[in-house]
Amino acid sequence: MNRSEVLKSGSSIKGILPWGHHEVRTRYPSLMVTLAESNNRPISESVLQKVARLTLRLLLALSLIAAITFVFVRHIHVNATSVGFFYLVAILVIATLGGLVEATVSSIFAMLCFNFFFFPPIGTFTIADPQNWVALFAFLTTALTASQLSARLKRQRKEAQDRQREMERLYVLSRAILLTDITQPTAKQIAQQIANAFECPAVALYDRSANEVYLAGPEAFPNIDGKLRESTIRSSVIREKAEEILITPIRLGGEPIGSLALTHASLSDAALQSMLNLVAVGLEKARAQEEVNRAQVARQSEELKSTLLDALAHEFKTPLTSIKAVTTDLLSNPEESLSQQQRGLVAIADEGADRLDRLVTEAIQLARIEGGKFQLNREIHFPSSLISAALRQTNSLTDGRDFKLQVENDLPLVFVDAQLIVLMIVHLIDNAAKYSRPGSPIVIGAKASEKRVVIYVTDQGPGISEDEQSRIFDKFYRGSRGQHLKGSGMGLAIAREIIRAHGEEILVRSNPDQGSEFCFSLPIAPVGSSE
Amino acid sequence: MSVGRVLVVDDDPQIRRAMKATLTSRGYEVSDSRTGEEALDKLRSETYDLVLLDMNMPGIGGIETCGLIRSSSDIAIIMLTVSSSEKDKVEALDAGADDYVTKPFSMPELLARIRATLRRLPQAPDDSGLRQLALEGVEIDLSSRQVTVRGRTSRLTAKEFDLLSYFLIRPNKTISHRELLQAVWGPDYGEELEYLRVFVNRLRKKIELDPSNPRFLVTDAWAGYRFHLPH
Repeated sequence: MNRSEVLKSGSSIKGILPWGHHEVRTRYPSLMVTLAESNNRPISESVLQKVARLTLRLLLALSLIAAITFVFVRHIHVNATSVGFFYLVAILVIATLGGLVEATVSSIFAMLCFNFFFFPPIGTFTIADPQNWVALFAFLTTALTASQLSARLKRQRKEAQDRQREMERLYVLSRAILLTDITQPTAKQIAQQIANAFECPAVALYDRSANEVYLAGPEAFPNIDGKLRESTIRSSVIREKAEEILITPIRLGGEPIGSLALTHASLSDAALQSMLNLVAVGLEKARAQEEVNRAQVARQSEELKSTLLDALAHEFKTPLTSIKAVTTDLLSNPEESLSQQQRGLVAIADEGADRLDRLVTEAIQLARIEGGKFQLNREIHFPSSLISAALRQTNSLTDGRDFKLQVENDLPLVFVDAQLIVLMIVHLIDNAAKYSRPGSPIVIGAKASEKRVVIYVTDQGPGISEDEQSRIFDKFYRGSRGQHLKGSGMGLAIAREIIRAHGEEILVRSNPDQGSEFCFSLPIAPVGSSE
Repeated sequence: MSVGRVLVVDDDPQIRRAMKATLTSRGYEVSDSRTGEEALDKLRSETYDLVLLDMNMPGIGGIETCGLIRSSSDIAIIMLTVSSSEKDKVEALDAGADDYVTKPFSMPELLARIRATLRRLPQAPDDSGLRQLALEGVEIDLSSRQVTVRGRTSRLTAKEFDLLSYFLIRPNKTISHRELLQAVWGPDYGEELEYLRVFVNRLRKKIELDPSNPRFLVTDAWAGYRFHLPH
């Protein structure tokens, strides 16, 4: 096979060198996958090529021995000892350039030639003089040992070179991981860097936290997603297609955080482990950075939202302030200063302003707490003081209603944001007052229940049908009997957002014509704490 | 006849007009300022009994204006603000305001707050013969409303003075929150614990050697406050 034929057959440049270094890689069978052959070429062809290359090298080695034999038999007549030294030199050359196989075969072939052509009786494989037996045996032993030593040296040099190369590649990779660009996913960049540094035809990296698979390298990697996820979940190594594909989990502190698939990579166990550690650190660093960024963005958007809402509240409430100042002043004047009709008209404006004020307040409260992403200012409180604070605030809304308090004695302290919980109770009381007959009593109670304090507000209104029960906590929903009522439809939505932010839930129990009960639980303060 | 001179400070012209019209009709003499800076100028050249101060104004803002007024005067201050959050209330009172009203408010409510703020304790300590008090490095001069702690003299605002006087007349006795609020602020009060918290802290800063570890004005948990007078 000449050089141009080999090139036509599609092999790599490395493949045409008669003493190529590929066989050395097979010394790491645990990891390694075959060599420069491309993924889509049948495996039998690469074996055939190897056999062909070995045969070529053997033929060259045997030709050399044959040439020496021919020269000494026909042209140069020296003693047998000198010929033996020439054979040894030739075998050393073969062992150095080639491998152990060629050197061993050449040693035996040289021994046979030595015997046949130079030991009497010449021309036969028999040896007359027992001393020559000893010489021949010594020759064979020396040739084989020299072959072995030479081959081992060569292998060690190769290994050292490979180690160095791996170190260089790992260095390149670690540097690349340190210098990842923040505008692109880090995992994608890592996959790209592995493909470049380790000359892998195809690399796939699965980042578990992002649940994304990133591909790199010049060749495709079909159907790899599922296997990568499987490798991560089972935290186990998968090998496929006679070790051409290696899929290995990436672990950090024993926990799989992703997986890596490579084709035709040639690297030692230690290098692979180092690479996986580097990738793990790179992914973890990216994840931590992303978390910091996300928290920062959330905080900024929370601040922006808060600033906007404050501005909005200010803009709405400023004109309302002057309207309210005027209407309340007129209404508080002595009876005779306004006619009955004028007083009625001013009262309409006054009520309108009140209503608008409540709408704005509730819309802003809801916007502020919606989505549950706000800072709770939790402190330790008496459940009874939360209820009495709420009752004080509801005075103007529920004139003349009869409140029945059923607060158990010795309730544990609760750990809540008092301002929000009071607001929530105010909305529940307000809701009960709106949806029940004027004059009917409203019950507000608190009781201990396991590791919670349950607060409930009960009215004797018309009740809520089952279909409605699922919708009353929706924004802007108003009960079917409440269409004519003043209100924004936001009270219960606010109540639910507040209680959810505390990690608790609000429930409604109601039957038509039997009133409604809203109840929610509050977490009790940790034992040992005090106000 | 004027029942008091009031300075309205608000950047909104409508609110200033409404306040002027309504307060004037109730017998108050009213001036107005558009900004905190303007209000400080007016306070330097004229005398007032009370400032109605908007919290959210362009320029130096209500809280800072309040602090600046307090640094040179013990005039009564009521802050007006849009937010009813505890944090804003405490911030306003901490800055030296005597009271706090949430916008929008009804005029009767504001008038009641103005009356309560201008109201003086009927039972002045002078009547009880208590004029000066010197205890362990602290001197309290009730006739001039001055307190000297380690040579550093500070003046008490009217409400601070009333609160301290109420304590001094009843030494070593626990006084409930409600009693203090109703006596010093007026009968409409009783639940505004944050007022007491802030005012007691303000007093402690003026009369205690170590305000975070008070020796005179002590808290009786859940019950109220007590003025501890060593015998």
